[in-house]
Amino acid sequence: MSSKENCRNELRTAIRQLSDRCLYAASKWAAEQLVGIEQDPAKFTPANTRFQRGSSSIRRRFHTNESTSTPISGVLYVSTPVMEEDEVVDGDFYLLAKTYFDCREYRRAAHVLRDQIGKKSVFLRCYALYLAGEKRKEEEMIELEGPLGKSDAVNREIAALERELSTLRKNGTIDPFGLYLYGLVLKEKGSENLARIVLVESVNSYPWNWSAWSELQSLCTTVDILNSLNLNSHWMKDFFLASAYQELRMQNEALAKYEYLQSIFSFSNYIQAQIAKAKYSLREFEQVEAIFEELLRNDPYRVEDMDMYSNVLYAKECFSALSYLAHRVFMTDKYRPESCCIIGNYYSLKGQHEKSVVYFKRALKLNKNYLSAWTLMGHEFVEMKNTPAAVDAYRRAVDINPCDYRAWYGLGQAYEMMGMPFYALHYFKKSVFLQPNDSRLWIAMAHCYETEQLSMLEEAVKCYKRAVNCNDREAIALHQLAKLHCELGQLEEAAFYYKKDLERMETEEREGPNMVEALLFLAQYYRGQKRFEDAEVYCTRLLDYTGPEKETAKNILRGMRLGQSSFPSMDVEHFPP
Amino acid sequence: MAGVLKPPGAFAVTPHKVSVCILLQIYAPAAHISVPFPFSSVAQHNRLGLFLLALTKACDDIFEPKLEELISQLREIGGLLHHWLTDHLTNKLSTLSSPDDLFNFFSDMRGILGGTDSGVVEDDQVILDPSSNLGMFLRRCVLAFNLLSFEGVCHLLTNLGIYCKEALSNCPPYEAQHLDDSSNDLEVLSQYENMDLENFVFEKVTEEIEARERASKRVPFHLHVPKALCGLVEDIEVLVDPKSKHGDKGREVCQYTHSTSDALRDIDPNGGMFLRTNWQIQGFLHEQANAIERHGGSYSFNAFELIMKQLQKYAPELHRVHYLRYLNSLYHDDYFAALENLHCYFDYSAGIEGFDYVPPSSGCNSLGRYEIALLCLGMMHFHYGYPKQALEVLTEAVHVSQQQSNDTCLAYTLAAICNLLSETGISSTTGILGSSLSPFTSIGISLSVQQQLFVLLRGSLKRAENLKLKRLVASSHLAMARFDLTHVQRPLLSFGPKASMKLRTSPINVCKELRLSSQLISEFCTETSAMTNEGDFSTAWLKNLHKPMGSQVLSEESGSGSFNVFQCCAQPSSIPGSVLQLVGSSYLVRATAWEIYGSSSLAKTNALVYATCFSDVSSTSDAALAYVKLIQHLAVFKGYKEAFAALKIAEEKFLTVSKSRILLLKLQLLHERALHRGHLKLAQQVCDELGVLASSVTGVDMELKTEASLRRARTLLAANQFSEAAAVSHSLFCMCYKFNLQVENATTLLLLAEIHKKSGNAVLGLPYALASLSFCQSFNLDLLKASATLTLAELWLSLGSSHAKRALALIHGAFPMILGHGGLELRARAHIVEAKCYLSDPNFSVSENSDVVLDPLTQASDELQVLEYHELAAEAFYLMAIVFDKLGRLDDREEAAASFKRHILALENFQDEEDPLVNML
Repeated sequence: MSSKENCRNELRTAIRQLSDRCLYAASKWAAEQLVGIEQDPAKFTPANTRFQRGSSSIRRRFHTNESTSTPISGVLYVSTPVMEEDEVVDGDFYLLAKTYFDCREYRRAAHVLRDQIGKKSVFLRCYALYLAGEKRKEEEMIELEGPLGKSDAVNREIAALERELSTLRKNGTIDPFGLYLYGLVLKEKGSENLARIVLVESVNSYPWNWSAWSELQSLCTTVDILNSLNLNSHWMKDFFLASAYQELRMQNEALAKYEYLQSIFSFSNYIQAQIAKAKYSLREFEQVEAIFEELLRNDPYRVEDMDMYSNVLYAKECFSALSYLAHRVFMTDKYRPESCCIIGNYYSLKGQHEKSVVYFKRALKLNKNYLSAWTLMGHEFVEMKNTPAAVDAYRRAVDINPCDYRAWYGLGQAYEMMGMPFYALHYFKKSVFLQPNDSRLWIAMAHCYETEQLSMLEEAVKCYKRAVNCNDREAIALHQLAKLHCELGQLEEAAFYYKKDLERMETEEREGPNMVEALLFLAQYYRGQKRFEDAEVYCTRLLDYTGPEKETAKNILRGMRLGQSSFPSMDVEHFPP
Repeated sequence: MAGVLKPPGAFAVTPHKVSVCILLQIYAPAAHISVPFPFSSVAQHNRLGLFLLALTKACDDIFEPKLEELISQLREIGGLLHHWLTDHLTNKLSTLSSPDDLFNFFSDMRGILGGTDSGVVEDDQVILDPSSNLGMFLRRCVLAFNLLSFEGVCHLLTNLGIYCKEALSNCPPYEAQHLDDSSNDLEVLSQYENMDLENFVFEKVTEEIEARERASKRVPFHLHVPKALCGLVEDIEVLVDPKSKHGDKGREVCQYTHSTSDALRDIDPNGGMFLRTNWQIQGFLHEQANAIERHGGSYSFNAFELIMKQLQKYAPELHRVHYLRYLNSLYHDDYFAALENLHCYFDYSAGIEGFDYVPPSSGCNSLGRYEIALLCLGMMHFHYGYPKQALEVLTEAVHVSQQQSNDTCLAYTLAAICNLLSETGISSTTGILGSSLSPFTSIGISLSVQQQLFVLLRGSLKRAENLKLKRLVASSHLAMARFDLTHVQRPLLSFGPKASMKLRTSPINVCKELRLSSQLISEFCTETSAMTNEGDFSTAWLKNLHKPMGSQVLSEESGSGSFNVFQCCAQPSSIPGSVLQLVGSSYLVRATAWEIYGSSSLAKTNALVYATCFSDVSSTSDAALAYVKLIQHLAVFKGYKEAFAALKIAEEKFLTVSKSRILLLKLQLLHERALHRGHLKLAQQVCDELGVLASSVTGVDMELKTEASLRRARTLLAANQFSEAAAVSHSLFCMCYKFNLQVENATTLLLLAEIHKKSGNAVLGLPYALASLSFCQSFNLDLLKASATLTLAELWLSLGSSHAKRALALIHGAFPMILGHGGLELRARAHIVEAKCYLSDPNFSVSENSDVVLDPLTQASDELQVLEYHELAAEAFYLMAIVFDKLGRLDDREEAAASFKRHILALENFQDEEDPLVNML
């Protein structure tokens, strides 16, 4: 493992190089990680370290098993030499072009660099052209919006850029940044295989460009593709793998990676947010909330990932916290899709679904491919009983990312609402396939099978069994299983599940009609089995409740006593002392 | 955006439309001359007008033609004028170089429209009526231009530049867009397809499709033109450049190579590609949907998929594309793709977009019409042979349509359920169909499946009549006819007063239903005018005109050679294809009915009528069925040689049809022939092949399954394995009984009688023969009855010579039917049995009535030789030899004996013969 100092030095150089090339997102990321490395306390004043102090409290609270969270030991990292700059002093034209670029005058920047041949200049020219094309594309997309939704605007620079970059690559006069741009162009053009190859080349020769890694990650749609990549081992690869695992829904693997990375970058907000994301997927809301609180304390103007925090707050029904968050991001930057999404969530929690739809739509205007906004908007439409609109919204989410099990689930729900359980099953099957460890999905599916129209009870039983195995939080499955077995006349199984349900309710200290039902069934069952002692236990417990069951329990008890006492009394008669 | 459906019919100005406007200006300049300047005659002038009309109406592609295509079309149309026209067009286009030019151009265009209020119209003035088709087109163009934002005008200008430049630089027309990875997949797929054994078939099919497309490319034009005008334009054919369409040409495009020649495309990969107007595209899709449904698997999957992908890219909100992709994958047996696309289509469109039989007036309720999704899904499951799922889904469709009170959908769903119940064997529906469907289950009376089907059929017919769904009424009548064909009507209630009822099927009812269904041909117009919009009509009109009118029946060069023949420009038939299809299928049902009732000549006639008159509108599978019937007839009456010759033609015609009936027919013929020639190994092999064809799901492919086990039993019988044969036919009988297949029951019983006869237990055979006879009687299976009578006679005869008289009487009773309608084998058998009866009769003297015996025997031997039925032929010759011997005609006797020997040897040594048909398998 490379030392923290090494990382620090590499990152410092990288930040300079990246921002020299106007790759601001990557340099921002790198800078964040740089500060995320635990500082050498000897060198810094307390004011510097105060910035990082908070995070450790989280670690104390949730990372008790830190010693075990170093899965990769003994991996030898290839130390990639920091790239030598070919032009030590930037040319005047380059400086001019960079200022134009910084003022977002891309074409002007490209024009200034038209005759420069240095690698850096060539890259900046191409990059400026690319961005100019992208900007024009965005504008055209709005201008061209046709009656049939035709918005086939393309980046018109792509073809020329591709030609130029591919010749450069063939000549071997391309630097890693050029390769990154080439990969970007290829991806946009749709040649994904070549794009992957090029991006791998880029990150292998210059691993600190996070943008290249994330492009590569978006091209790894399956585990097989991911495993087939031929990547040099570098600590950046761990970041990449972690985020790729996360995207492939391998949450535990991702968590392991992040926790390992946290040993170096112990104060990285990025890693914390990613851990929160993974935990969110594992539905560990308490921890997610704590992490976000911490994050906001350190970085109060952060908007990224805050939509997830709002989801957590929504799930926990924290009205005021959610409104506070919404206010905060609104003041920071109201035209971020995340901000709109958070406000939408707030209105949804307040039950004002129309308003919430307005904000989700705004979020989607800002980013057409904003997955969770589509899904959340679908939920809102469901609440508003506008099922066709909900179906449409969910379907769009699914078309953006076919692995979004929430949207598939939403589709299933919408169809179930319309009284089409068999049709809905198709969607539930899809969502269960993607997320086989979520009990809610299994329960929804079982519910479909259970409906009067289908009444395929065996299948429902199978689904509930899966749900029970998936840590069913609401404990619906056990109860349903017991009931279904009872309905199917399989009393033994029914008793087994009622007992389990009872045990569970006892440990969770829940009371309610389910409890009464379970007790009553068990009492009757054991009486039928002639295990009167057990039956008596349940009956006596039933006596604590009011209602008709109490009377039934009394009757059973009386009957049993009578039955039991009749034998001894007969004995008395026949064998007088 | 979700929940907001875009208004249909939005119209965008494109360079092509600008060109059309320029041509319109030439056609109707604001001048007071009857024949404006460049035109030399009225005819020439009209030609251009009609051409423009065709341009605005044609639904043959999704993209608008490019400038050079337009120019080449002008060359066809303009005759001598074409140089002038082309020059004028290109000049005019090249003068449009700034937004202001465009603005002026469109305000000029307004000038050529005649005002609606300008009362004075001089006789010889050419004025574009604003409410005419072309006038409307022009008005829409002007309006669309006026609505454009400045950015829009800029885009139009850029596009115009590309449009002109591409034509002038003369670079090759567009190749299919890069659909990169997917197109790679397609490439792989197509390679795979080429590796297939049926390599040549694939090529052939694409060739044929291309030919068909070329044929349909001819844009015909005369809409509401008087006859005289029609004569003027008769000789013009407008050929659209075929290169522009066929998407799979683009497959060869390699994604990494970049030659300089397509630099232009690099600059603007989408340049010059514009979708046609919304309804032109809808019309195109409609037409394609019909074509897919009719041609099924013979439609090239990849080419169409590529077009659809392009369309999806250009019009992501046109959800109908998903439906087309669903159809395409459905007919190419891609279950998962079909399922995905179906769900996708209905998720997006909510069943509202593109379905014609949803009357728009009934309130486009915002709730969507998901019941149609269920209906489609049910039919899909049915198509793939999952009757249980299909029934489940259709039941759900019934529930939902009832909830949504969508009566139309309910009627169609019920019809689909009827179809499902009648096609697949379902032994009990209890618990599947909800109580809401049948009034009887609510009273607590359980009905058999057949009775339930009957109730459903009646219900769906009534529903369709009430809703005035003429097509559905017609097809319900057909379904009813099919039901009546094989079912005895019984009272539905098992209690109460019973009217005396003959337990027989009633051919009269079948006839009545068939007649009622054919009435559609005179009634459909009321319905179509209500539901088809202009686009639909013009599509149908175009389609009907494109059909080659020549007779195609059994002519070898049909299909391939006819597209170059000049198109018949007669008044196009205004009957929509779907109506013709229904009427046609009534002829098929008629043929089947006569087949069952035993009149082979009438069956043949009806099949012939179908093949001649309806083959161009029918689906390939139906056409194949008609061919099958004709070939079967040939085999039975003319022998195998002719049948195989005909089969070869049919095979070439229908090879690509999946689950082909032709294949089944081939196996049947081969089996029959193998049995006759005594080639039992081959027969067994063919039998096994037959068995594999059927789906393994119970209740599906019942026809195939019964056929296979019937043939297995017959093979075993021919091999003299009586007990095995009896076991097989016994289990077959059980299955038929379970699934209520009465006609097959009669056949099976007859086979059992035959088995017992052959095994020498004539007494045991008698009850089976009698049972079969009574089945035949109650189901009006006259021909089968004759053959059962024949078997009965044989059984009696084998009980001893004392029964010869009775047997003879039986045979004579059946003779009219046998001689009138029976095939070669049946006639020969009857003749032989007759002769045998005479011979075994002790009172019969050969020397006195030698002709009575010899005539039938010679006839039988002739017929059997045609059939190559060695065993029976040997028997005939043997009997002949005996007769000749008794008559003392020794030469004849020797000859007959030699023939006998020949047949016996052939029977024993079939391996020695070179059989060219063996390798047909």
